[in-house]
Amino acid sequence: MSTHKITVKINGGLEQVEVPSNMSLLSMLREKLALTGVKNGCAAGECGACTIMMNGEPVNSCMVLAVEADGAELVTVEGLTTEGKLDAIQEALIDKNAVQCGFCTPGILISANALLTRNPNPSETEIREALVGNLCRCTGYIRIIEAVKAAVEMHKEEA
Amino acid sequence: MSKIKHMIGKSIEKPDARDKVTGQALYPGDINLPGQAYMKVLFAERPHAIIQDIDISKAVKLPGVIAVLTAKDVPVNEYGLIMNDQPVLCGPGSKKPFAERVRFIGDQVALIIAESESLTEQAKKMINVEYQDLPVISDAREAKNDHGKLVHPDRESNVFCHYQIRKGDLEKGLHEADVIIEGEYITPVQEHAFLQPEAGIAYIDEEDRVTIMVAGQWTHEDQEQIAHSLDLPPDKIRVIYPAIGGAFGGREDMSVQIDLALAAWHLMKMGIHKPVKTIWSREESIIGHHKRHPYFVKTRWGATHEGKITAAEVELVTDGGAYAYTSTKVMGNATLMCTGPYEIPNVKVDSYAVYTNNIPNGAFRGFGGPQGAFVAECQVNKLAEAINMDPVEIRMRNLLREGSLLSVDTPMPKGVTIDKVVHKCAEKAGWKNTDKGWQAPAISKKNTDIIKHGIGFACSYKNVGFSFGAPESCTAKVELHGKDTIEHAILYHSGADVGQGAHTIFIQFMAELLNLPLEKIHLIASDTARTGQSGSASASRITFMAGNSIVGAVNNALKKWINNERPAIAEYEFRPPKTTPFDPQTGKCQPNFSYGYVAQVVDLEVDTQTGKIKLDKVICVDDVGKAVNPLLVRGQIEGATVQAQGYALMENFIQKEGRTYTPTLSTYLIPTILDIPEQINSIILEEADPIGPLGARGMGEMPFLPFTPAVVAAVHAATGIWFDEFPLTPERVISKLHEKG
Ligand code: FES
Ligand code: FES
Repeated sequence: MSTHKITVKINGGLEQVEVPSNMSLLSMLREKLALTGVKNGCAAGECGACTIMMNGEPVNSCMVLAVEADGAELVTVEGLTTEGKLDAIQEALIDKNAVQCGFCTPGILISANALLTRNPNPSETEIREALVGNLCRCTGYIRIIEAVKAAVEMHKEEA
Repeated sequence: MSKIKHMIGKSIEKPDARDKVTGQALYPGDINLPGQAYMKVLFAERPHAIIQDIDISKAVKLPGVIAVLTAKDVPVNEYGLIMNDQPVLCGPGSKKPFAERVRFIGDQVALIIAESESLTEQAKKMINVEYQDLPVISDAREAKNDHGKLVHPDRESNVFCHYQIRKGDLEKGLHEADVIIEGEYITPVQEHAFLQPEAGIAYIDEEDRVTIMVAGQWTHEDQEQIAHSLDLPPDKIRVIYPAIGGAFGGREDMSVQIDLALAAWHLMKMGIHKPVKTIWSREESIIGHHKRHPYFVKTRWGATHEGKITAAEVELVTDGGAYAYTSTKVMGNATLMCTGPYEIPNVKVDSYAVYTNNIPNGAFRGFGGPQGAFVAECQVNKLAEAINMDPVEIRMRNLLREGSLLSVDTPMPKGVTIDKVVHKCAEKAGWKNTDKGWQAPAISKKNTDIIKHGIGFACSYKNVGFSFGAPESCTAKVELHGKDTIEHAILYHSGADVGQGAHTIFIQFMAELLNLPLEKIHLIASDTARTGQSGSASASRITFMAGNSIVGAVNNALKKWINNERPAIAEYEFRPPKTTPFDPQTGKCQPNFSYGYVAQVVDLEVDTQTGKIKLDKVICVDDVGKAVNPLLVRGQIEGATVQAQGYALMENFIQKEGRTYTPTLSTYLIPTILDIPEQINSIILEEADPIGPLGARGMGEMPFLPFTPAVVAAVHAATGIWFDEFPLTPERVISKLHEKG
């Protein structure tokens, strides 16, 4: 298998990684960069647990080849915290008990964060639509919706 | 000090939440150890066959392959939670009779251990297995009576469990009835679809213990089953649970545990000291672990015009799949709960669990309760319609109350509150208690030619803890540190936190009982080398059982503290009142020591053009005894309700001739955020359980039980059609609507 050297900007830092041409971005993050906050729930684009930001858009990292990410800017759940301080959406998920087993949580956080970045004041329908690709088997989603709404309020207070 | 009391009843933050929102929490698949090898399973992928030969010679020669293990490498080639009827690895060469047989597609044939994951894949393809296929037994109802075709040739019949209840005189009861409702029901298979597929890592620890880090529900049971298969004493096996990515009963039986232990132990014997890691794919997870049992039910119930239920007869047949798993226990619950939370004078129940070549069925939230509740609640709703009585009113006239005799002819444990729960739920949904009895609210929303509205009512009870004579206990150990005052405390407990928040609850109990701030409590959890037997995180038992064990251990430790022992260390094993098994003839028994009670109203609309059902509102009233952490309780109610919604409306697990047609999350659809009800109104009642810790009852499963029958009643109210089989997919709804014309 041929390998490629790629460079990515990830969670603010630059990384050079050597990857086989058939390796998924998800495997690269977990296995080459030890970013195990990114989860594998299906490896087939069906669950959203592997969601990360790629060039400002949420993507299922299991459906992207690592080589396709050459030169890209990536943010994973590990990158949501700045200097140990949690982002509002992380705080809100804790506050509202929107985290049960937590396996879906990294993906939910990225999707919610992407939504709030492009639309700081989403309606409930917009919240639901933004999270349709993220399965959660534990919570029934109600607390997750509550949490996103709470994060919106927290952002407003900060502003 | 008084300012920190009252930790019970507070929605404190979960201690693991921060790690989970920052990506730091380690699930089994996230743990890497230096020099680790990888393991892959070769699954049979055929439902019924005899393995003539396994040729691994090519695979083992591939550079980087460390070992390939088959049946002959398993010291005791059998396992099982309630009976050892499953080979660890199928194939020739072990002492287990008929272990060369493959009985379902997820049976395991070989373990490939290699330096990298891709090498395990490559080597797997180089293994040559010669199969002789056998006729597939896929219909439990046929298999029940067919003694010619056996799934387990060392047994006389495919039926491996039969219970019966005989209470009163059924014929007399039917004779007294003014109306009799007969029903035939079928409930579907359900897949757990926890988000974290099975994974784990095994190594030999510093005390030469075969150590397995895995996500399970019961550390000590895993330990025992591994020890049995490896023929080692249990204390040579160590099981540790890191973060667990959901369970719902789906991790109650073994998946990767024995495989991993076997691999690490085998490598050690070869003189190779390497940890072994494995992660199942989603497809392997779906074919590799058990499902919720499907049930095939025939029943008839009688009632008088006054709404008194006089008789109930039920025959339950369930498909156990290829191996027993927890079928006998699931069937126990279904046998009890199929006549509902009602006092019925004349009852006859016969239940049968049957082997087939389908994926085994076992534990899943509710554990036979949802299937039983579906039958009972549909029957009661149909009786109500037949005698023209309100569904709440008929329930009020038959509900179990303090001192009521169950179908198994013994009184309920004290603290029966189903009537209060039903009352509250009815009231919240707009029912009126008039002098003519309870009256349902008028439907306020307007029906159109296409959109029809309906509301439905159902209620249920579910046991807390192990039933029918199963040994039941839970151990806690507490250490109190400090000089004059207690400065900090340590709790050692095996109780698994599968995401429900068990560990949060443990800490709350400790803080409350010791009057310490939360940060002064340390928890050491789920490690058989350090924590005692707790029993499983299942049967809605952890809050109840662990809570009681913590109360006992704290009390014992405080006694030592007063005697100036420093640190004061005490252990306590809580044992609840004894239960007993069904009498083989009459079924008479003391089935359970505690119950939780729940009622639901579902308000929905049916699109008669598309068959789509939209849930407007769910009201769920749940008596939890004491809500130790109200936000966690809410999380359980909502999570259970949406899981039940999947069960009732969408989750359609398809098996034909022993093969699975829905092995992915794009073919087996579970609810997304767009599918859930507009509103879930959770109402928590706190009627103390007399033997619950600070009054708490179990509650994790209860809200699952009444949901499907409430939906079915609401759809009937909207369309006039009773659905006796679900899920109510648009196709099923449309075809019934067309049938009706
Ligand atoms: S792991 Fe990528 S969508 Fe499931
Ligand atoms: S919290 Fe478990 S899957 Fe979402």
